[in-house]
Amino acid sequence: MAKNSLTLESVRHSLIRQEDSIIFSLIERAHFPINSPTYSQSYVSNSIPAFSGSLLRFVVKETEAPLAKAGRYANPEEHPFFPEDLPPSVVPPHNFAKFLHPPAASININQDIWDTYINKLLQLFVAPGDDGNYASTAASDLVCLQALSRRIHYGKLVAEVKFRESPQEYEPAIRAKDRDTLMKLLTFEKVEEAVMKRVAKKAMMFGQEVTLNNDGNHGKYKVDPSVVSRLYGDWIMPLTKHVEVEYLLRRLD
Amino acid sequence: MANGVTLESLRQSLIRQEDTIIFSLIERARFPTNSPTYNESYVSSPTFSGSLVHFVVKETEALQAKAGRYANPEEHPFFPNNLPPSVVPPYNFTEVLHPPAALININKDIWDMYFKKLLQLFAAPGDDGNYAATAASDLVCLQALSRRIHYGKLVAEVKFRESPQEFEPAIRAKDRDALMKLLTFESVEEAVKKRVAKKAMVFGQEVTLNNNDNKGKYKVDPSVVSLLYGDWIIPLTKRVEVEYLLRRLD
Repeated sequence: MAKNSLTLESVRHSLIRQEDSIIFSLIERAHFPINSPTYSQSYVSNSIPAFSGSLLRFVVKETEAPLAKAGRYANPEEHPFFPEDLPPSVVPPHNFAKFLHPPAASININQDIWDTYINKLLQLFVAPGDDGNYASTAASDLVCLQALSRRIHYGKLVAEVKFRESPQEYEPAIRAKDRDTLMKLLTFEKVEEAVMKRVAKKAMMFGQEVTLNNDGNHGKYKVDPSVVSRLYGDWIMPLTKHVEVEYLLRRLD
Repeated sequence: MANGVTLESLRQSLIRQEDTIIFSLIERARFPTNSPTYNESYVSSPTFSGSLVHFVVKETEALQAKAGRYANPEEHPFFPNNLPPSVVPPYNFTEVLHPPAALININKDIWDMYFKKLLQLFAAPGDDGNYAATAASDLVCLQALSRRIHYGKLVAEVKFRESPQEFEPAIRAKDRDALMKLLTFESVEEAVKKRVAKKAMVFGQEVTLNNNDNKGKYKVDPSVVSLLYGDWIIPLTKRVEVEYLLRRLD
């Protein structure tokens, strides 16, 4: 991610590649039923003395700790869901290009992403039921959460590139702390429509039953393409723009 | 699961696992080789020994063990020694496998195959510094491969139950070759290899709104996926089947 190579085109290219990651992660999660004990506050609290919260919280928190030691969060594109008490990295620091404006770089809206995923998104694409695989379900949720988090926080990169291209366009609204105007400047409905169409198409391609006989899939997909479209339209893109706005508001600090 | 497990339901599961394996390879291919991930001396810290991938896999498995993952007989850890016990209430996974045979774990061979042979076939050379994410990505591949290959125990059990008399002589004679022949259906294997190549094309293509002409570029080479299945996944699965059957009458 060298400074000179970051353009709106390369950022766009990365966002397109991240669509595949997100859709794969949803398809893999959909392999399990809802498995609600995974999200229940009381399911583990009796068994793990120092721990309160759901199995998902336990798995994510305890998985992020070794990843932090291994240097994952040195990459500014990665954001932990439980940043408090995260152990420091023990690996030699890698020279990730410093591209973001420091006062704005620390934005982390993972709490909102977590809430949206568990309370709104899961029920839209996961079947009811219980198969006992709560640990694997939680691991699968973490992959989804990380993919969503990376995409949404990419808004910082998008905002930085847009700002550098035409700072005068954004400066008045930033100085006026005018969120609405900034949101308007960042919204391109045609692009958003195209994204929603493309992710639906990808959900059809990646979620179909691929056989040697024929390609007639009878309209059955592992994740409903319209749900993926809606995920992008209702949550991913608005949350990304929220990050872009918050980033820009601090860009002149 | 005892009454619901048939050769057909197993076949369906194996087919679904093809998608999982291919997705995991595509996601790993997002990163270049990132060799510091595998270098034993990359990190020098008292709390850290071995390569980064060794550390990430071991720590992640310890946590997942506490969360109950390995209570499911379909899941096998890569570092089973000193794995912490599960702290969650035990789930009643149906006992299908014959206990003396259920303990087979060939993850060491899967690990070696993945890192020494497979990885170089589909990861581009290079270094982008994302070693932790690379290791996490490797773990997803390893777990998918491990689950599929160890599924051989279920396959062997179902095949044995369907016609025990077919297998018993070879089992008593400890005749691995005869058992391997009984478990090999070349036309089925050829179909699997074709199908996974097709899936690699469908899942690894660049999907755009404009047209479907991918110009033959795929995120993972379909012939590598075919090779993975033909040279490694299918033979290792059958090895598990043979080893399972050899203990089936104990």
